[in-house]
Amino acid sequence: MAWFAVGVIVLAGLSVVGVATYYAVRPGSPSGPLTITDDLGRQVTVPLDPARVVVLGPSVMDSMYRLGLRSHVVGVDCYAPDLGGLSSDYSSDQVALWNLSSSMCVQTGPTFDVEELLALGPQLVLAATIVSVAAVEQITQTYHIPVVMLQPATLTGVVLDDQLLGEIFEVPAVSLSLTNALQLALSQAASFQDNLTANGTPFPTVLVTYSADGNGYWTFGPGTFGQSLVELASGASISANATLSYPELPGEQVLASDPQYVVYGTGFGINETTYAAGPFWSQLTAPQDGRAFGMDSNYFTEPDPTMILVGLPQLIAIIHPGVSA
Amino acid sequence: MIGPRDPVLRFRAVTVRFGERTALQDVNLDVPRGQFVALTGPNGSGKTTLLRAALGFLAPDTGSVELFGSEVRSLSVAERARRVAWVPQEESPREDVPLLDYVLYGRYAHLGWLEGERARDREAAVRALKAVGLEDRAGDGILSVSGGEKQRAVLARALAQEAPLILLDEPTSHLDIAHQLDLLSRVRELSGERGVTVVAALHDLNLAARFSDRIVVLSRGRRVADGVPSDVLSEELLARVWGVVADLRRDPRTGAPYLLPHHLVRPSPSGPGTFLGKGPVHVVGGGGSGAPFLRALSEAGYRVTTGALHLLDSDLETAESLGALTAVEVPFAPIGDEVRERLRVLLEAATAIVVAPFPVGPSNLPNLEEVRRMLGQVPILLVRRPPGEEWDFAGGRARALEEELRQGGARSVAGVTEMLATLAAEPVAASSQ
Amino acid sequence: MGAVAPAPTGKPLGRRPWVLGLLLAVLAVGVFFSPILGTVTISPDTVLRILLHQVSGGALFSEPCAGSSVPASGCAGLIEIVWDARLSEIMLAVVVGAGLGISGGTLQGVFRNPLADPFLLGISSGGTLGAAVVVVFRIGVAEQNLLLPLFAFVGAIGTGAVILVAARSRFGSVETLLLTGVALSSFLSAILSLLLLYSPTGSLQVDFWLLGNLGSLDWTQDGIAFGVVLIAGTLLATYGRELNLLQLGPDVAQSLGVDSRKVRIRLLLLASITTAAAVAFTGIIGFVGLVSPHVVRRVAGSDYRLVLPGAALVGAGFLLAARDLSLVAFPGTLLPIGIFTSFAGAPFFAYLLFRRRQFSTMGAP
Repeated sequence: MAWFAVGVIVLAGLSVVGVATYYAVRPGSPSGPLTITDDLGRQVTVPLDPARVVVLGPSVMDSMYRLGLRSHVVGVDCYAPDLGGLSSDYSSDQVALWNLSSSMCVQTGPTFDVEELLALGPQLVLAATIVSVAAVEQITQTYHIPVVMLQPATLTGVVLDDQLLGEIFEVPAVSLSLTNALQLALSQAASFQDNLTANGTPFPTVLVTYSADGNGYWTFGPGTFGQSLVELASGASISANATLSYPELPGEQVLASDPQYVVYGTGFGINETTYAAGPFWSQLTAPQDGRAFGMDSNYFTEPDPTMILVGLPQLIAIIHPGVSA
Repeated sequence: MIGPRDPVLRFRAVTVRFGERTALQDVNLDVPRGQFVALTGPNGSGKTTLLRAALGFLAPDTGSVELFGSEVRSLSVAERARRVAWVPQEESPREDVPLLDYVLYGRYAHLGWLEGERARDREAAVRALKAVGLEDRAGDGILSVSGGEKQRAVLARALAQEAPLILLDEPTSHLDIAHQLDLLSRVRELSGERGVTVVAALHDLNLAARFSDRIVVLSRGRRVADGVPSDVLSEELLARVWGVVADLRRDPRTGAPYLLPHHLVRPSPSGPGTFLGKGPVHVVGGGGSGAPFLRALSEAGYRVTTGALHLLDSDLETAESLGALTAVEVPFAPIGDEVRERLRVLLEAATAIVVAPFPVGPSNLPNLEEVRRMLGQVPILLVRRPPGEEWDFAGGRARALEEELRQGGARSVAGVTEMLATLAAEPVAASSQ
Repeated sequence: MGAVAPAPTGKPLGRRPWVLGLLLAVLAVGVFFSPILGTVTISPDTVLRILLHQVSGGALFSEPCAGSSVPASGCAGLIEIVWDARLSEIMLAVVVGAGLGISGGTLQGVFRNPLADPFLLGISSGGTLGAAVVVVFRIGVAEQNLLLPLFAFVGAIGTGAVILVAARSRFGSVETLLLTGVALSSFLSAILSLLLLYSPTGSLQVDFWLLGNLGSLDWTQDGIAFGVVLIAGTLLATYGRELNLLQLGPDVAQSLGVDSRKVRIRLLLLASITTAAAVAFTGIIGFVGLVSPHVVRRVAGSDYRLVLPGAALVGAGFLLAARDLSLVAFPGTLLPIGIFTSFAGAPFFAYLLFRRRQFSTMGAP
């Protein structure tokens, strides 16, 4: 008798697993007019010019705003409302500029809250900051809300993303003018660099730091946008050969390199005093000679049009004073 | 299966090694049905290993262990549990399980997969509890009963297994004397009345002799003796295997042999410089006074003689147990000429004389007289008498004799220790015997 | 370690099978009312109407959202929230809680140690490493919602397998198993830290996994978890009697007819599978496996035939209660569930230790 009961239960379990796996490997097929390839190589079928869009990540929001698509955005990513909310991800400038409110919050950290997403009824999700690729996949497959991942690997990728957005939202003209502006900025920086190389002018050594503590200065290593920006701005980053992507350079090492320029990131509660408290700050020549400048941290960390149109020229101006681009 | 006459447990040339150490060496053993076998031997002799091999916990390096005709290791674990039950030396349960449930655990091997306990299982458990006298405690927790009760509960569990062979490993080692007797007599009943075969490892040889049908002695992994208790137990065996000097007696009530251990076997002390050597020490005593001195001297390695004693004197028993030569007189009679002559012989053979503080009356006064004759020939030690005690019942003549001895050079010693020290300090006697 | 029982009085706590029925009833009530709680506020009667609408296949309450303030997504969105999001999360809580509870009970029995917990064998580190590999090396982006749990499962089971091999060897004593688990855990954690140094975004995702979360969003995952936990858990529950006997020590158990080695290995294997299936979808959720068996022992007695299924029920209830409590305490915010179980579990664990010290009588290990 007991054999029978156990056997039935085991069979029930097996059938449930079987059915579930069947449905897992045969997800519902999406339908829609346009199929695009996102930055992670995924084929996504999207509606054209959706009216309700959820944006996850300030870099995407930047593009949407510049493309005049702010009115389409009904939700943005937030940290847990009781633990910081909007202001954890968006600087006060950004909140003001883009007219964001906490009612638009979709909690993405510390846990992704799908209920808030569903309550907003979006037709499309554009994601740069993701907590879990797996979770995002499930949104697509369970709730049939297409998710486009906009995670450019290079600055050129930013341009491509804006092209893509232009395609999705059917705003070719605006998209074109934005991408043109981006490409112009990039090529200007490139030719500036060609001039310098042709003249044999060495690139100034630069430390770009986004945080400091008693041990050293946190900076951008190879493979990061911060590093790419410095290179594009014709600077020689002292962390170009670091092994990690976001290394902390010990104070002694920074002192030894003694960069000609120090650029420190501000925002989210960090400002000059944070860096002044760093090791050997008073012995570094750059701060003493007035060659330490603050820049909004976002310009280094968020791969978006603002990085190229605002951050890049600002950086060039700082490390190549008196030279016109 | 096997026939009624075939051995229930059979060890054939079993050798078990643990690395370099050999725990069992070429052991052969046949245990017939219904026998109560006591397995005994010094620590490390292999008793536990033998039991573990019988249970199938380990495989022998050579030879085979057969349980009811089948090789133990070839049986399934459940099948083994149906054939042999185990009462370990010590169990430390973690949970406070009610005794009835604890005993019901023994029924596991009789139940099918997921089968609940049936009425007959419960009955078997209750019967087992009754057999050990714990039926009133069925609801009490195993952690709340005393050590003796716990051991009985474990025995009950083994009974509930309804296995025809029960192995017990030192089941009485943590029990007080009452519980020891109780447990073993119950086990005896089992084997006698119910035909259950029992093999019990026991340290206590007297208990083994009293309750078992057969004693098997292991020493260093080998079977060195095997038979009924009265054949197997001997002083020689005890000295050889355990290194203990003992006296063998017979229990008048049970007829079983029992051993009185005395001391460890020691090499006989000898060599120059020691007074001990050639001749015995003679102790004059009586009424129990000589016993401590006799024993002390014997322990120290001296040969002893004593006398003259009367037949029912307790010192005589001590002397006999030590194997001391004695001059003996019939009770209440004064020491006669024959006995006196014998006493003289003993005194002359002695290399020292110790006079214990014995009560002296007319019938044993001659002891002191003969000692006086030996003055100047051998050292004489007089043990001081406790003050205030009346000991001279011979009208003052005993006191006078002892005074004479003192004047004549006899040494006064306070007790055993001083006696031994004094003797040890004596120069080596010239050859005397 | 000493006895787990309360101070021995004359009469120990007997078996109370009916307590299981009570636990099941409590769980059922919990499951029924939990969908009311969530980060988006939906009125209770709307929730119930939606539930009945869905369960009846649309026959009941054709307009379940009538009379409630419908958000931008419309009623379809609300239905999705209640039925697809909340209910699947609740089901996952029940399944994972049950799985962790029953494997915790099993491990406490196999190791004869009241402090044993499903993650004792390093299964959590193995699972985390598996998940981290997928994230850091960006394996199969499009199929990641399947690959992540799969790798996590393989990682967890792989670790469990190493322990089992140790169990079969000559050194398969309980102490060796525990030490191997601890050593393996440390080793895998070190590898994990190294991997994450090279991928800060990966670090974020792995942290998220380590905190444990119930947002499965997916009936498929629920189904797989449910199936595996059901099968492995049922098989575990059949070993109640053997576990009782194992408490007497492996030798005594063997003499009573339990093949201790084989049974221990089987139990460890099943417990590993159950735990791995649980954490593959939710990440590491601590304390559920540790605490649930103790609760059952206190209310239903120490017989493993009751402790195992009871621990499953208590574990399910515990995890569900943790979810509900976190939503009541922090409305509008979804916290990783592992934080809450630790929050509740740690004080209870301390209470356990305190009681053991007070009443530890038979201190013999």
